[in-house]
Amino acid sequence: MDLELSNIPFIEILRQYNNRAVIMIERSTEGYFEHNMETIRLLLENDFEGIYISFQRPFINVYTMFEQKNIDTSKLLFIDAAAALSGEIQVDDDRCIHISEDIEIDELVRAIYTSIPRFQSKKNFIFIDSLTTIALYKPLSETMRFSEFLVGLVRKEEKNQISLIFNVAKDLSQKKFIQDVAFRVDEVVSI
Amino acid sequence: MITENIDIKKEFDNLPDGWIVLLETSAEKSLEISLVALHHLITEKNYIGIVLSASRPYKNLVQLYQHKGIDTNRILFLDCISKSQSLEIEQTGNVLYLDSVSDLTNISLALKGSMEKIQGDKFVYIDSITTMLIHNTPEMFARFIHGILTKMRIQGISGLLISLEDETDKEIRAEVAQLCDRIVKLA
Repeated sequence: MDLELSNIPFIEILRQYNNRAVIMIERSTEGYFEHNMETIRLLLENDFEGIYISFQRPFINVYTMFEQKNIDTSKLLFIDAAAALSGEIQVDDDRCIHISEDIEIDELVRAIYTSIPRFQSKKNFIFIDSLTTIALYKPLSETMRFSEFLVGLVRKEEKNQISLIFNVAKDLSQKKFIQDVAFRVDEVVSI
Repeated sequence: MITENIDIKKEFDNLPDGWIVLLETSAEKSLEISLVALHHLITEKNYIGIVLSASRPYKNLVQLYQHKGIDTNRILFLDCISKSQSLEIEQTGNVLYLDSVSDLTNISLALKGSMEKIQGDKFVYIDSITTMLIHNTPEMFARFIHGILTKMRIQGISGLLISLEDETDKEIRAEVAQLCDRIVKLA
C-alpha cells in the first residue's frame, strides 16, 4: 500500500485483523516524527491504549511534543530507550518505564510484557518509533530477536487485543533485516 | 555583507523549542549558506553558538565570520582540524582544539561539556556530516549523532547539522534526517 495515512482506513486495517495486526509503516524522513505523532493521535482517538517505545528521542522531548499537539498522554506508556542507549538519565515519571543503559533485549521485552496489564482498554498497541535506530546499538541478531518476540506476543496474546506497529524510514526499508521483518508482518503501509 | 538572496529566516520559522534542523546544500554554496544561517541565528535570534568544525580551522572560521559581521564572542569553537593538521594553534577563551575528526569520544565529551557550561539559548552547529563521514565509519558516526542529539533534546538545546546534498551516504543521511525536526534543502 502506498498512501497517505490520513486517507487510508488505518484503523480499519487493524480491525480486519481483530486489532491484532502487525504493521510496518514506511515513512519519509521528512516530518518523520510529526507523522509518528499523527499515528498515535489516530490510535488514541479510536480508544486504543499503548506503549510508545522511543529509540529516536528521549521521553521528555516526546512527551513535551505530544502535550503541545494536544495528544492525550494519559493512555500512553513510554519506554525511553533513546536516553538509555545514550547513557543519559531517564526522567522520573509514572508513565515512563525505566530500563538500564545496557538495554538488553530481554529487559526490554520484560518491560513491555509487564506493562500490558496496566491498560484499561482491551484495544492496545505497541509502537516502535524506529527499528533501524536500535540496530545502531545492538547486533542485528538481537534486533531481529526483539521483533520476533513482539510479533509472537501479538499473535499469542488472548486477553488483550494488541496491534504492533513498526516504523521505518523509507530510505532504509531495503536493508536486509528490515526486509526480513517486513516478511513477518501482516501489512506494509508506505506513506 | 551577508548575501541577500537567501531567505534563511523562513526556514527557521515555526520550529518547536529545542529544534534540530538538517541543512542540505551543495558543496559550492555550503559556505555561503552556512554563514547566512549563522548570522541569522547569532545576530538576529541572539543564540549562542557551539560550532563543531570538521571542515575549517578556528583561525579561518573567525576571519570568515568576522568578515560577515558575526560576533565571534558569542561562539564557542570546537576545532577538529588544527591539531591533526599541525596548524598554528591560537589559544583564546572561545576555542577548544580537539585531536581529530575521528576522535568521536572526545568530540562527544567536549560537546556535552560545552552544552552544560554555556548558559542561555544556544545551538550546536555541526559542519559537516559529510566531512565527518570521511573520517568515521557510518555506524559509529550514526551512533555518535544519535547520542549527541539525545543529549540536546534532553537539555532543550537546538541544533543545525550541515550536509552536502548527494555526497552523504544515503542510509546515514536517512538515519540522521529522521531524527531532525526539519530538513532544509538550499542548493
